[in-house]
Parts: sequence; C-alpha cells; structure tokens
Amino acid sequence: MNDTIYNNVCPGSRLAGFIAEYAAWLWGCGATCERIDKNISRIAGSYGYQVNLSILPGSVTAVISGSDAADHFVACHSPAPCGIDYSVNTALSALSWRICDRNMPLDTAISEFRAATAVRHLNPVVIIVLTSLANASFCRLFGGDAAAMSVVFAATLAGYFVKHSMLCHHIDVRIAFLVSAFVSSVICSGSILQGWSSTPDVALATGVLYLIPGVPYLNAAADLISRNYLCALCRAMDAVVLTAMLSAGLSVGIFVMKVNLPW
Amino acid sequence: MVEPSLCWTGVAEDALFAAMAAIGFSSISHTPRHAFFVCGFAAAVGHSLRFLIMNGSSLLSGIVVASFIAAFAVGTIAVIFSRIIRVPAEACLFPALLPMIPGMYAYRAIGGLVGCVTTPALGEVNANFILMGYNMLMTMAIVLSLIIGGNAPVFIFKKMSFQATRQSFL
Repeated sequence: MNDTIYNNVCPGSRLAGFIAEYAAWLWGCGATCERIDKNISRIAGSYGYQVNLSILPGSVTAVISGSDAADHFVACHSPAPCGIDYSVNTALSALSWRICDRNMPLDTAISEFRAATAVRHLNPVVIIVLTSLANASFCRLFGGDAAAMSVVFAATLAGYFVKHSMLCHHIDVRIAFLVSAFVSSVICSGSILQGWSSTPDVALATGVLYLIPGVPYLNAAADLISRNYLCALCRAMDAVVLTAMLSAGLSVGIFVMKVNLPW
Repeated sequence: MVEPSLCWTGVAEDALFAAMAAIGFSSISHTPRHAFFVCGFAAAVGHSLRFLIMNGSSLLSGIVVASFIAAFAVGTIAVIFSRIIRVPAEACLFPALLPMIPGMYAYRAIGGLVGCVTTPALGEVNANFILMGYNMLMTMAIVLSLIIGGNAPVFIFKKMSFQATRQSFL
C-alpha cells in the first residue's frame, strides 16, 4: 500500500492500513509475534484504538476498533519479502515507542515508517566475507584443522555468492538453497578427494552450515512459547523446507563427487 | 575439576571463534552494526561457558544441560545489553546462539539417512538407522535446550526486553 492510497481514505482506514503494513514488515523481517503484537497495540493505543491482528502465511490482517460501535476498520497487507532484517526490526520497534511517547501525528508516523523500512545495510561483499569467516570459525569450533577452515571459507564464499546472485535475480529461495548447498558441498568434497585436510568430515559438515535457517527456527520456538501456534508452525515449516533443500543439495554434491564419507 | 592447561587455551580459542562466528551470522541477519560487539561478546561467553561445563566432571557436563545453561547466559547478556544499545534483545540473542547449533550431530543424522537409503545390506541399514536416530535425537535435544534456555530470560525480563528500543527508557 502506498501513501497515495492512504491519503484518499478516512483517518480510521488510514490508521488500519498503516498498522497492517507495519505488522507485515515486522513479520517479514523476522520479529517474534509477541513483539509485533505489543508494537501495534502501542501504536493503535496512541491514536485511541484497540487492535486485533491475524497473521496467515500469505496475509496480515489488522482490525482496529474505537470507542464508537461503528468505529471499526479492517486492512490487509501481504508480508514484506525483506528476509530476516534486525535493522528494520530495531527501527520499527523504536518508531512504535516514538509514536507513543511523542503523540506523533499519523502523517509523520507514516513518513518515518517509510524511512525506517529503507534502512541501509552493509555492502554485500562485506557480508559475504564476514559469513565466510564465521563459517570457517564454526569449522574450528567443531574441531576442524587449518586446511579444513580454508576449504570451508572458500566453499562458503562460493556458495553464498551463488545464493546472493540467485536471490537478486528473484529465483525461488528453495532452489537457491539447493544450488548453494550443492556448490559448497562439491568444493568441500573436492578437498576430501585431494586429501588436503585431516578432518574432512568436519569440513563437509560445516561447509553448508551458513545456510541453516537458525533464526526462523528460534523465532518459531519463541512464537510457540507465546502461544502463537499457527505462526510458530508456519515459520517452522518454512525452516524445515529450507533445511530439506540444503540437505538435498549436500547429498547430491556428495554423490556427484563420489566421496567415500567418514560419517 | 577442569584441567588448567585445557582450560585457558581451550576457553580462549573457543571464545574467539564463537565471537567471530556470531558476528558473521549477525551480518547475514542485518543486525545493526553497533550491536555486533554485543553479539560477539554474548557468543564468546556462552560458548566458552559450555566448553568449561562440558570439560568439568560434574553432573551437568552433558552437552544438553551445558547448552541450556550457556544459552541462558547468552539470553541474559542479550537482554541486559539490549537496553544499553537500544536494540531488540532477539537481535543480539539469536545470532549469538547460532555458534552452539549442533552441526556435527545434524550432519551425522543426514549421513545415517543417506546410508539407510543407499545401502543394500540389511546389517548396514540397521547400523545407519541407529546412527541417524541417535544423532537426530541429540540434535533435537540440543536445539530445544538452546531455544528454551535462550528465550527464557527474554520472557522472564519481559518489560526490559520489550522496552529496549524506547529512547526515554534509560
């Protein structure tokens, strides 16, 4: 929903639309349901409304109700396809408090919301290098030697680059995970065949760990604890599918390279 | 008792690599840059605490219990520091927990599964099935202990966790 649409409707509808879009962004960027609920209740309360939110895999629906029985508005928005993004999560959470503490007009809130969702990130090259270093460190934590760490660094660099490129070209995230895991496992398997490392199993195991959707799993558990069972199941299933795709990519890579594995 | 020589070199190495891993994983999930240090610190404390517990001789030395205690420590650090740096506690907590994910157990579980479906001999299938079952159960138990231990402080100190981004809070 863009600002032009917001401007052509009554204040209650504008607020409902804003809250639905705000919640859709928080859901998309990986906020827990409890945080989404608290933030939107805070925003709606600042404008004298109560809010009920319904989150389904394909849509976020906000129903706001005022003191008058006829003062009800409904708005629906698709989840923002931004991926896990704690910078946006932080900016949106801070915005909800500013709206509450400063009695911010709705127009200002909407313009600050636009700024918060356009937050700048690290350069993708820096992210790829940091991720590769992280995965090499992971390899060391699991007992890998220096050669295994180097191989994992290279495998992560290549795999993450492939994943990033595919996602930039709007290729399905599941296919991107499958192909990235395949690329990383082929590189790690190659090092096993060359006999570079004395801990080849660790290299192969950690070479694809950067793809594990750890945050969605943790979010699912947090939603489960706060009794948001449907959202928890939705997030867990998404994570399970991605884990299955990376497992498939890893297995295919091992088969193609004909590696005799030291499980 | 923890052996002293094992303790200091092992703990320092564990802390260093856990911090590097957490900072890298923070960058993937676009954690705000000023929170990277807290993610690294929480992961270093958590992972080295787990290392110390697991290398001790107490009843708590199993990886599942050790992971729970370490995750609780990480969660507590994340909640306390989230107030100071004005970032949601989850933004520091989740990347800091990731270095404790049981990757080797998960890998061996996949290995067992692949072995089950590719081996024609029944005896080998049984061995692979046991390999898969044991490692899958361990993976699930450790992940569960990380999740419950890490999230517990967020829910115990709820007010602190959910007011972290409020500018007039401090």
